[in-house]
Amino acid sequence: MRKTSLGLLAATALAAAGIATGASAQDVLKIGAASAQTGGLAPYDGPAMEGFKMAVDEINAAGGIGGKYMIELEIIDIRSDAAQTAIAAQELLDGGINVLITPSDADPSFAAAALATEAQVPAFSPGASSPTLPLMGGDYMFANFPGDNVQATVSASWAIEQGFKNAYILYSPDTQYTTLPLYFSDVFAALGGTVAGQGTYVIGQQDFSAEITKIKALDPPVDVVMTAAYEPDFPAFVRQLRAAGITAQVIGSDGIDSPTTFSLGDAAEGVVFTTAGHPTPGSDLEAFFAKFEEVYGRPADTIFAAVGYDLMKVIEAGVLAADSVEGAAIRDAVAELEDVKGVTSAITYKGTTGMPVRQVTLIRVKDGERELVGQPSPDPALVPAPRMQ
Amino acid sequence: MDFFLQQTINAVSLGGTYALLALGLAIIFSIMGMINFAHGELMTTTGYALMFAGLAGLPFVIAAPLAVAVAIGTAMLMERIAFRPVRKGSPATMLVTSFAVAVILQTLFQNLIATRSQPVILPDALAQSVAIGDLTIGVNQILSITITVIILVALNWFLKRTTLGIAMRAAAEDFSVARLMGVRANAVISGAFAISGALAGAAGVLWVAQRASVDPLMGFVPVLKAFIASILGGLGSLTGAVAGGFALGFIEIFLTAYLPEDWQPFKEALALGIVILLLLVRPNGLIPAFNIGREKV
Repeated sequence: MRKTSLGLLAATALAAAGIATGASAQDVLKIGAASAQTGGLAPYDGPAMEGFKMAVDEINAAGGIGGKYMIELEIIDIRSDAAQTAIAAQELLDGGINVLITPSDADPSFAAAALATEAQVPAFSPGASSPTLPLMGGDYMFANFPGDNVQATVSASWAIEQGFKNAYILYSPDTQYTTLPLYFSDVFAALGGTVAGQGTYVIGQQDFSAEITKIKALDPPVDVVMTAAYEPDFPAFVRQLRAAGITAQVIGSDGIDSPTTFSLGDAAEGVVFTTAGHPTPGSDLEAFFAKFEEVYGRPADTIFAAVGYDLMKVIEAGVLAADSVEGAAIRDAVAELEDVKGVTSAITYKGTTGMPVRQVTLIRVKDGERELVGQPSPDPALVPAPRMQ
Repeated sequence: MDFFLQQTINAVSLGGTYALLALGLAIIFSIMGMINFAHGELMTTTGYALMFAGLAGLPFVIAAPLAVAVAIGTAMLMERIAFRPVRKGSPATMLVTSFAVAVILQTLFQNLIATRSQPVILPDALAQSVAIGDLTIGVNQILSITITVIILVALNWFLKRTTLGIAMRAAAEDFSVARLMGVRANAVISGAFAISGALAGAAGVLWVAQRASVDPLMGFVPVLKAFIASILGGLGSLTGAVAGGFALGFIEIFLTAYLPEDWQPFKEALALGIVILLLLVRPNGLIPAFNIGREKV
């Protein structure tokens, strides 16, 4: 929490400086973040808000958005809990914020979405990837990550290109995000692959021996296993899968873009997953990671830091286009944004329902490091419609 | 048949871990009439001990017993600092105290160690398996089954053959009379916490060996499972806790193994449904404590 209050202090001090130089009080963009700084979503929201704060500090140091609007940021920890998200969001909205940041998962974000819509304050989730979030969350809810259905299209197309024919998917009905393999299953089947079976798990289940025995009993054996499980489920699953002697290709998604995945040794070797970007030499992302290390004195260990940074860039572009800090005006401007230059990718909201169009990256775990597999553009005709449930 | 055998091994392995956890809860309940919801945090402590031992370069064979020792120490400290002052309080007071201890420990882990989950370095052998005929048994599973058996045998010996063990059994039957016979309350309760810490530590090592990471809130799921298992087995009954743990393991594994695909999303609900049905038939649990409902402490 100390970091938060320091950031807040810095933002307030800068805002005060802004006032001193003649800017009026209403020229402040108040951003409130109901963010999971602790608990299960902390591996995503923690770095996301670190990146976000970097962007805020940079913009404020340069005199505010368009030299006009200073940014004030307040972060409340929601401990990865949906009920806490609603409480924190209400508190922030009552405090008169112009923009709300919700947690990096669709489910707690839903709890805040209705409140934001009612208050006509645009809400953004840094890392939520369920395409249903902006659809069910209302006009004021935006996502900021490649959608689950788009990620699944990219990974399923890649699997087919690699010659894999027989897939098994493991999903959890507990959250929207963990049902991503169902999109994979649709695309994989549409491209001529066979989905030999699907298993479910409970988040936090830990023991996957029963599911794995079922995978092993499949005849013919599967050559690819796809899951959107993340910590602590994914490490447990992949270790037990390899221990059982199953050598099929494992495909995951953005939730496993975390240091644990790269520290699993042999078990995670060769795992391929979709995420939001990769620091190729000379790229903006590489420069961002270098800067992150300069600011925080340690490397950013996931893409989520960059995703948080990009989210602030999107909000900046929205405020610039609207030339206002009024919630409804920002919302309308963001909905028309095209090709906002982020460090991970160009980001477009125009023509979408609030799920941005942006690049998807395929990464392979190799010797405990990330290896770029590709950044293919998915075939729009293949992308499954959001699965409403 | 192979499929069935393999799933049975899976169930024994999972059930064994649940049994260790449920035993840890039961041993405290049998003596103090308290469910210790901070039991999960003892596992988390074990996990962090393993993590730090790994970072310090200690081999797993040394790190694991060390981690269990840390859990025993933490459990005894927990009793001395938090539970002894409220020992004469109502069961509700002790229950709330245990929740408070759990939350305080979680917050300490978050603030002093890390909010995010930390990788634990484990020997590669733990991620391997042994083939016996058509069966594949994970080293992890072998470890889990072996440790469970050793602990159950050792605990049985301890409770039946040692003075402290006999005193603990006496205290579980009737604490007041046991004290009249010269059994020292502090020693018995402290001993019960030490054993419960050892059980949590052993279960914690097995749990972490499976997931290879540790986070501040990791104790929640296992303590919940242990709670279900000990209720199913019969609260306060040690044999009941073991039976409940294995029963829960078997129910979970076999539902996953044989439930049709369309029903899979409901397996957790079905498992709890079966537990409720069993409790309807046997309201005091599978093997109830014979002195159920008697005043404790």
